Amino acid sequence: MKSVNSKDLQKMAVAESSPLTTHVLNTSDGVPGAKMALSLHRLDTRLMIWSMISVGTTNEDGYCPGLISREAFIPGMYKLRFETGSYWEGLGKTSFYPYVEIVFTIHNPAERFHLPLLMSSFSYSTCRGN
Amino acid sequence: MSAFRLQQLKSHILFESKIAAMSGSPSPLTTHVLNTALGVPGTNVTLRLYQQDTTTNVWQLITTGTTNDDGRCPGLITQEQFKAGVYKLHFETGQYWASMGQTSFYPYVEIVFTITDPGQKYHVPLLVSRFSYSTYRGS
Repeated sequence: MKSVNSKDLQKMAVAESSPLTTHVLNTSDGVPGAKMALSLHRLDTRLMIWSMISVGTTNEDGYCPGLISREAFIPGMYKLRFETGSYWEGLGKTSFYPYVEIVFTIHNPAERFHLPLLMSSFSYSTCRGN
Repeated sequence: MSAFRLQQLKSHILFESKIAAMSGSPSPLTTHVLNTALGVPGTNVTLRLYQQDTTTNVWQLITTGTTNDDGRCPGLITQEQFKAGVYKLHFETGQYWASMGQTSFYPYVEIVFTITDPGQKYHVPLLVSRFSYSTYRGS
């Protein structure tokens, strides 16, 4: 059994404390959507442009911990962009969608928000979880 | 003229204008908005279709429309305009829920898709509730 030292525990605590999480699922193959690049953006309402907050890649389980810190998670309009086209290309398949962008509004950043993406190469769905 | 007779005439005229809209060849790209919370079509939803310019990557607005009583929006694009490339359908879903006095997690929904063969028919529906949505490629 692998022993977990205090440094690992610290890393896990930081990673899991993101108030915003996602989970990518490959519904074609019934597996997690692993190694998918994604990015989180917030709309700057003064300049009316998207500014990137973080970039990441999903792990073997289709999760991407550490998307945003509690402090950075202020009310506003956010966008999660998933590089689904590259993902399917990596599996040797074409896809109808070059990428998926989900735009959502956060009014109360004290809540937890879980935004899964269930996708095949010709369909996708998402919902607000917590 | 009686009110009943007026109703009859009105329904004939509406039927004719539906035919007129369909008499040009139908759009090779169609959509359908469904309100999955209530199990009804998403009517009166404003939407816009964009085509990505292949040289500049700028989005060009092709059509603005509103879904009808069936949640559909005929005449999105003509066969001539429908070239291979990247397109985007933008649905004003936030406005739709607001018009019913409700908030929604998503201010709008954008679906970006690639057309490889404009000779085929493409159906891009949107099934939506206040806290979820899904889409798929139909034909």
